Amino acid sequence: MAATLTPTNPSQSFDRQAEQARVRSERRRTAVIDLAVTLGTVVLSLALAFLVLLILGKDPVKAFTALLTGPLSRINRTGRWIEDATTLIIIGLSVTIAFRARQFSLGALGQMYVGATVAAILMIYVPMPPVIAIAVPIVAAMAAGFLIGLLPGLMKSYLGANEIVSTLMLNEIIVRFYDYLMTNVFTPKGAQALRSELVQPNSMLARLGDLFKANLGRSNIGIVFALVLVVVVWVLLARTPFGYEVRTIGANERFARYGGINTKRTIALAFALGGAVASVAGVHLLAGVHQRLIPGIAAGLGFEGIVVALLARNNPLLVPITGLFYSYLRVGGEIMEQEASVGIEIVQVIQAVIILLLTAQVLVDWVKTRNRRLADRG
Amino acid sequence: MRGITKIYPNGVRADNDVSFEVRAGEIHALVGENGAGKSTLMKILYGMERPTSGQIYLKGQPVAITTPHEAIALGIGMVHQNFMLVPSFTVAQNIVLGNELGRNGFVDWRASAQKVRELSKQYGLRVDAEAVVDAIPVGTRQRVEILKALYRGADVLILDEPTAVLTPQETIELFAAIRQLVKQGKTVIFISHKLREVMEISDRISVMRDAKMVGTIEKRDASELILARMMVGRDVIMRINKPPAKRGAALLKVRDVEYSTEAGVEALKRASFNVYAGEILGIAGVEGNGQTELVEVITGLRAPLSGTIELDGRPIARLSPRAVRQAGVAHIPEDRLTNGAALPASINENLIVDRYEDEPFTRGGFLRVGAIAHNGDALIEQYAIRAPDGTLPVGSLSGGNMQKVVVARELSSNPKLLIAAQPTRGVDIGATEFMHDQLIKARDAGVAILLVSADLAEVMSLSDRLAVMHNGRIAAIFPDARGLTEEEVGLYMLGTKTMTQAEVEQNW
Repeated sequence: MAATLTPTNPSQSFDRQAEQARVRSERRRTAVIDLAVTLGTVVLSLALAFLVLLILGKDPVKAFTALLTGPLSRINRTGRWIEDATTLIIIGLSVTIAFRARQFSLGALGQMYVGATVAAILMIYVPMPPVIAIAVPIVAAMAAGFLIGLLPGLMKSYLGANEIVSTLMLNEIIVRFYDYLMTNVFTPKGAQALRSELVQPNSMLARLGDLFKANLGRSNIGIVFALVLVVVVWVLLARTPFGYEVRTIGANERFARYGGINTKRTIALAFALGGAVASVAGVHLLAGVHQRLIPGIAAGLGFEGIVVALLARNNPLLVPITGLFYSYLRVGGEIMEQEASVGIEIVQVIQAVIILLLTAQVLVDWVKTRNRRLADRG
Repeated sequence: MRGITKIYPNGVRADNDVSFEVRAGEIHALVGENGAGKSTLMKILYGMERPTSGQIYLKGQPVAITTPHEAIALGIGMVHQNFMLVPSFTVAQNIVLGNELGRNGFVDWRASAQKVRELSKQYGLRVDAEAVVDAIPVGTRQRVEILKALYRGADVLILDEPTAVLTPQETIELFAAIRQLVKQGKTVIFISHKLREVMEISDRISVMRDAKMVGTIEKRDASELILARMMVGRDVIMRINKPPAKRGAALLKVRDVEYSTEAGVEALKRASFNVYAGEILGIAGVEGNGQTELVEVITGLRAPLSGTIELDGRPIARLSPRAVRQAGVAHIPEDRLTNGAALPASINENLIVDRYEDEPFTRGGFLRVGAIAHNGDALIEQYAIRAPDGTLPVGSLSGGNMQKVVVARELSSNPKLLIAAQPTRGVDIGATEFMHDQLIKARDAGVAILLVSADLAEVMSLSDRLAVMHNGRIAAIFPDARGLTEEEVGLYMLGTKTMTQAEVEQNW
């Protein structure tokens, strides 16, 4: 348009206050619909799982009762639930940091092993006074997790290496090396089973059962650490310049670069901080759950952080809820296996069905919000 | 279409009780500013969006159109702004895709190509059925899109801003094709905000503003001025008011800058020029002659191979984008969707990307949410961004308002040098006017402005001095943009004429 015109106020026909009120009420409505859809999805996925059991000719009512009420049926099972939730919340937070920068880091598994190993060296062999015997190994583990997370981060940022491949391969290396250390270093000479000595008593995370005088299994004050980390990660992402950089890169990396953000450094740091957080989960497994190193201490946890983060829509404040939800399913599944003699494979199929439907909905929403336009160009 | 209302889930009302009627066999233009609701209305007709309320009638019968498939079945076809073609397929393959002519479960490509050739001939839409889409120009791709719709039996064709991507010559051909289509009984709905074209091609014109239908008039009752008034809701004056420039010191000095792309193409060849405080230096040129690279080299997004760039006496070549910004350079990028804004992020957050670490947005290592929101509210007010508040995602705004967010951020950084690349591309009259006004205001406040625009009329009327780029070189610099003719500048743009190095140097 070649023509240009004298300026007047282009917003003359725009009633901002009325618009605000309308947008607010519309948002409220959307939130209610969102919640309803989520709940609907849960019900639907449970119905599908029920169908699977029915087809298999198992007693679906009994199996389902085990799945849905199992973690609350006995106090020690509740303990198992809290124990598992602690780990899932921490690795969920770890994944959230990288996901926010739109980096698909799968390194949490290896980082847990690194955290557990580094902490174990201090906790098993170095006697320390109370509190310090926990604080120092955690800091050391986080530093190690930071470095081991930084590696794929730097490779992605500065060399363009695909982070999915590099983190998975790094996990492979770490797990094998951990196995080697288990056999040749940590297991005392002449021991019957492949396991390390117990950590020093001062390094053990207090069991909740001892605090509350109840049989809460291996659950421990690690859950408090996890909740503190929730707040820390939220503050980091929502209230610091670094968090702004991460979120802006996640929203549009080219824009971030154009705006002057050092995108390479920020992406590498996001990987590293995710590693630092995930290593805390390793410390929890070591000092809280097993109180010693065992083979495959973080086995089966490789992708669980991703599920938790996806369900929480990468919002750290929702991670405790989705972590508790998902560990409830995991523990419920274990109990279903024991009580209804449903094979572990079927348990996992049912879990997968539920998670698939829920994450699919999350993904749909993700795409929808990305493509949404209030008003069209036109 | 009667009483159509569309409210998006995030609460924005794109269409408000809109009624719209098209007669068979006419060319009906639908005009309005960006964000007026034209595209949404047509997406509803084509089944891509569902109306919140309202009813569509086709030949007097109420119809429910919930998917594009149903629209196609009813004889409604749409050609989008962004073409939806498979680049590696041939023209014929693209056209028949999804409706292949086949035999025994196999696609008969020869018959398909034959059918495409027949269609092409029937409607006067020249295409080479065997050509691969990747290799054909934009204008031809558009004809392929139109043929695709016709192949599926469209009687009503919706063309969404079809001329936005075309050269003048291609536009002439498109208009000839549209007239041919109508002659053969088709109906065409033509979405545009270019009034000159609307007046040229349409039989009737409907104008939308603020999600409402302002009215429909016959072409014989319309003029560009009447339409502009209907679109903007007030009188518009069709010229640029610009006091003479008060030129200051040379703020930006670019000397012998060379740059090659990753592919090894020499994009900039010994580019040299100055931009002075208080002036607008325009850069004219056919797109792809090095303008994009020039801007990105100055702003630190790309590193030059050789040469120097000085801002206010300080070398800035090869600095990071942040350091260049801190030196006093603001940049309105040519592609605001991919570079200028983070669409999922809020308006508030988009407005601080260059200053989030500074007071008052960060204090003691933490972001101050209140200060960020306050900054957003102030800029929304000051730059008349049409948004209820700063928490909305930028992606939910119309093109013109997105551009205002970019401009608000860049101008409020109090730059010494403002680089504006294609600042009015794809925005409507009101926003264009606003943009030009802002540029002149910044110039009068002593900012050095480098304006890159493919719109020759714009760059000629807005600039104080005018440079022309051709093939990576500064082909000419005119000390006074007034008194130049488009024809003369055009000769330099096409490389027919080039100033000698001495002549250019004289006007640095």
